[in-house]
Amino acid sequence: MTNHGIDLANSDCILIMGRNAAENHPISFRWVMKAKDAGATVIHVDPRYTRTSTKADIYAPLRSGTDIAFLGGMIKYILDNSKYFKDYVLNYTNASYIVGEKYGFKDGLFSGFNTEKKAYDSSTWAYELDDKGIPKKDPTLENPRCVLQLLKNHYARYTPDAVSSITGTSQDDLLKVYEAYSATGVPDKAGTVMYAMGWCQHSVGVQNIRAMSIIQLLLGNMGIAGGGVNALRGESNVQGSTDAGLLYHILPGYNPTPTAAVATLADYRKKYTPGTKDPFSANWWQNRPKYMVSFLKSMYGDAAKPENEFGYAWLPKGEEGKPYSWLDLFDAMYAKKLKGFFAWGMNPACSGANSNKTREALANLEWMVNVNVFDNETASFWKGPGMKPKQIKTEVFFLPCAAFLEKEGSISNSGRWVQWRYKAQEPPGMAKPDGDIIYELFLEIRALYQKDKKAKFSVPILNLKWDYATKHQFDPHLVAKAINGYWTADKKIGDKTYKKGEQVAAFALLQDDGSTACGNWIYCQSYNQDGNNMARREKSDPSGIGLYPKWSWAWPVNRRIIYNRASVDPTGKPWNPKRVVVEYVGEVKDGKYASGSWKGDVPDGPWPPLKNPDGSAREDGKLAFIMKPDGYASIFGPGLKDGPFPEHYEPLECPIDKNPFSPQLNNPVAATFKSVKDVIKKCDPKFPFVGTTYRVTEHWQTGVLTRWLPWLTEAEPQLFVEMSEELGKLRGIKNGERVVVESPRGTLDAVAIVTKRFKPFVIQGAEIHEVGLPWHFGWVYPPQGGDSANLLTPSVGDPNTRIPESKAFMVNVRKKGA
Amino acid sequence: MAGKSIFVDTTRCTACRGCQIACKNWNRNAASATKNLGNHQNPPDLDGNTFKLVRFSEVENEGKVGWYFFPDQCRHCLEPPCKDTAEGYVNESVIQDDATGAIVYTDKVKEAPFDEIKSSCPYDIPRRNARGLAVKCTMCIDRISNGKKPACVSTCPTEAMSFGERDEILKLANERLAALKAKFPKAQLLDADQVRVIYLVVDDPKKYHKNAVASLERGNRRFAAKRVIDSILRV
Amino acid sequence: MKLTRRDFFKISGAATAGLAAGGLGFDFAPVEAYAWELRTKDAKETPSICCYCAVGCGILCHTDKKTGKVIYTEGDADHPINGGALCAKGASSYQIAQNDKRAQNVLYRAPNSDKWQVKKWDWALKEIAKRVKKTRDATFVEKNAQGQVVNRCDGIASVGSAAMDNEECWIYQGMLRALGLFYIEHQARI
Repeated sequence: MTNHGIDLANSDCILIMGRNAAENHPISFRWVMKAKDAGATVIHVDPRYTRTSTKADIYAPLRSGTDIAFLGGMIKYILDNSKYFKDYVLNYTNASYIVGEKYGFKDGLFSGFNTEKKAYDSSTWAYELDDKGIPKKDPTLENPRCVLQLLKNHYARYTPDAVSSITGTSQDDLLKVYEAYSATGVPDKAGTVMYAMGWCQHSVGVQNIRAMSIIQLLLGNMGIAGGGVNALRGESNVQGSTDAGLLYHILPGYNPTPTAAVATLADYRKKYTPGTKDPFSANWWQNRPKYMVSFLKSMYGDAAKPENEFGYAWLPKGEEGKPYSWLDLFDAMYAKKLKGFFAWGMNPACSGANSNKTREALANLEWMVNVNVFDNETASFWKGPGMKPKQIKTEVFFLPCAAFLEKEGSISNSGRWVQWRYKAQEPPGMAKPDGDIIYELFLEIRALYQKDKKAKFSVPILNLKWDYATKHQFDPHLVAKAINGYWTADKKIGDKTYKKGEQVAAFALLQDDGSTACGNWIYCQSYNQDGNNMARREKSDPSGIGLYPKWSWAWPVNRRIIYNRASVDPTGKPWNPKRVVVEYVGEVKDGKYASGSWKGDVPDGPWPPLKNPDGSAREDGKLAFIMKPDGYASIFGPGLKDGPFPEHYEPLECPIDKNPFSPQLNNPVAATFKSVKDVIKKCDPKFPFVGTTYRVTEHWQTGVLTRWLPWLTEAEPQLFVEMSEELGKLRGIKNGERVVVESPRGTLDAVAIVTKRFKPFVIQGAEIHEVGLPWHFGWVYPPQGGDSANLLTPSVGDPNTRIPESKAFMVNVRKKGA
Repeated sequence: MAGKSIFVDTTRCTACRGCQIACKNWNRNAASATKNLGNHQNPPDLDGNTFKLVRFSEVENEGKVGWYFFPDQCRHCLEPPCKDTAEGYVNESVIQDDATGAIVYTDKVKEAPFDEIKSSCPYDIPRRNARGLAVKCTMCIDRISNGKKPACVSTCPTEAMSFGERDEILKLANERLAALKAKFPKAQLLDADQVRVIYLVVDDPKKYHKNAVASLERGNRRFAAKRVIDSILRV
Repeated sequence: MKLTRRDFFKISGAATAGLAAGGLGFDFAPVEAYAWELRTKDAKETPSICCYCAVGCGILCHTDKKTGKVIYTEGDADHPINGGALCAKGASSYQIAQNDKRAQNVLYRAPNSDKWQVKKWDWALKEIAKRVKKTRDATFVEKNAQGQVVNRCDGIASVGSAAMDNEECWIYQGMLRALGLFYIEHQARI
């Protein structure tokens, strides 16, 4: 989230789309209701009428996989009706940039498409630069090649009629939503969006979110209280585990993992440190080398030295352009390219798309380690449905771990609050905290490498800093301090000397010469000389907008609303004086700031605003979007794999064969796989219904932590499939009957919930039915609970994130025995 | 009338079922084995281990779908018929707590016939637990006697439930009713004068639950009265 | 139909019975006789954060000082995000603390076996370490086909975990990267 949960209460209009907030993040709804109490409009756009819809002022159904059409129509509405916030758009976004002549869009494809490689050459999407190397701008926004005009042109096709015919949303509902939401495009109104996997799990997942980001920028909703783009995340620490770089493409703190061509630290600095020619751009990532060197120091300690590039060579390098993502990982495992596997605190046999492929892949391993709180379908895959244990060689080690209330440490919520929690009891039996297991396992591994002088490349193993125990037990405080960072040498900066061994106060002090070690630069300040800031529990709110700056700690540098320099006008005064996030306050002489400082939230950097109160430009001001190299937020986004503007493409499995917006039916660069398990069927009469997956309040993810809890399984005991009364009638299915749901990849038994809350969609004049299933169940437990909905989902995905398209695929539903 | 009250504003309820489980958690009530019967309400009804149950009802009004949620529980009647029924058999089987007005069944309730207690309830609340004892919500008498809110109220994310002094709760309920009246002409408080757990609904109460309001079909005044008189005659 | 107070009395028979009982001087037990005690009154309170979604609600755990066991969990009323509220899942967290189905043993399933065997930690960690080393050394790629140095272990993959604390995640990535893994993924991708 750019903002945080409590901040939802500051909103005037809350669009919940790609998400079922009341059911999946029930406490976020506490703040939605507070906004509603204060007069906010709540909108829910979803294929199915849910518990969230019951609290919405406007509910608009749409067919799964058509969000870009829906949002593209809103972009058109905003532009056609001049609902955008012009001052914001001009000052803080790239709307005025002139795009180069090589850019184009024709027949559903952007310029630079290589048919053979199925990839774009994004260099054709570059801006025109002036002689200083700064993008050319047209402040009148009238140049036909300026971003705003290109945007207008791109979405001219997204008429209410065309959008309605593809989404199945009535034009009346579309206009209601467009009108209500675009009313926030004024200085004193805030609109926010709450989304989740309903947007991510599509072959156009990133572009779904891009479309909404464009809307938020047009309406001036980024950086302000009650605004932002807010992903509510599904796992208690999925934010923290992402921050910690437990993904193939990033190291801790969002530094990219190096690839083979980036052989040296010098190469790395060159490739990943962005430059800017614009003196007003803070270009924060210019500091990347400091963060990278400090990370290497935290990994390898004293062994990381300037002469060995701080051990950069010891980091593994990926192959150029080869993804190692979830889908790729299981594809490799299915193809027998992997031998060993850790499924740590996860249940991939149920959680990833195309679970039959995953489950078979597990049988191709030599060994697997599963660490969990309860038995699950991954640990026990070898005795699952259709498996023949005697033919499965995979050795399985199951390690029991402590639950959250049996250990101490921090987790990071969706709003980036890093909160410390404590141990309330001992874990049962032999169970241990994950930290102890990891700590002890690595000691065993290292001991083997210490003994074997001929072992393969043992340097990083022998040099990994691993002193995180107190009395031989894993000590989270020691790691938390290392993540924050500390001085590894005495260092004088200005007139202050920092002593070796002291904690680093905040990331502005991190160095690229090896004098600081820092495990994750964005967490620098979390555990500094003031102590463990994550454990703070002072409940004061001087802001009056719910920032609670002394409750726990938020990354970065305790900033509660990021991009907050955009919450003020160029002179530093809040767009909305009633909801002040930050404000530049100082002594004014002759219309100029003679001195001053920011009040309120921790600002996005200390520099003064761009202009003086009299409107004159300041030389020391900085542009609002400090993480963007050019300082402006991207309405035109040339950095993605599938185009600078979002475009509607059908899901790879779709019920129609014509895209009304272009001849290009599907995302031309979507991630696809070729194994025999990767079957995709478009417009196949055997699979006539759109299928989607979701969650319910009473369970969580694959159900590993909820199916075993009697109170929850009492409330939601079994796999169900929800369908409309019309579909029930069509298939002769009565409410509560057992049915079979089948996709090209798998089959499931489920209980039918025939409900008024699902209605058939009229798509291009034809009636299209959609059904939905939760993915919480699995064959291990409870006995009559059913299996995972991911047996049905396809292993195809978004080209940027490679997140699977679990939210829109094709199925058949029939009465059991029919 | 002094004492405490609970206000349940069904327009704020998201059916997260935090209350249903918080109730089980505080009262140490077990779960039973259930099946999905074609809807999300589970267990299907109040039972010996379920003193609070969120009821789900799908409705369609002028072609628009709606989904009503009703967190059902004992209303803690000001003059509770179950108490009269039970006390007709044995003293101290049902307590009406002086300080709070909470109606609490004691172990002695087993000496009174369960069916009569159940059928005397205008809301069909009492159930029998595994020990054969009549049971129901106690308004968390142990919590509220120690300055805490009932578990269900404490856990409600959207403040659909409020707990406090009866006059303050009535005031809150009436304010909320007044605010909703314009948009929902059918908005009403259910039996507010007779009970301590006051529901606000915005449609025909029967669409939420058949026993949302005291039902003419329920309650067993003659039977109860007869038992009382019989017991008097025995004295 | 809206019921009047009078109707209500008629239905319930409360008026009759109440009058009869009161009038004849029934001996209602004095309520003061009941000492309602909080079952958590002597427990130790420990603040935690919910393990389910990422809203980050505070949970207060009540631990029996004698047994060391959690006897009750509830929303942390002081927490600014949830103010004591919890959803169905958060409200159930007591059943994570006390659950006889919890995994309590280190288990091993041998190749082609149809059953688990209970093992000791020491054995399991040593055996896993041996397999890690064997697979790593067998599949380690120092240079790729183009001759570029990659120092990568291609034969082992890891998924997990958003269910771990930050400190655990950080040392886990440290271990995996020291081993040279590149197939490192977790819940964010799915």
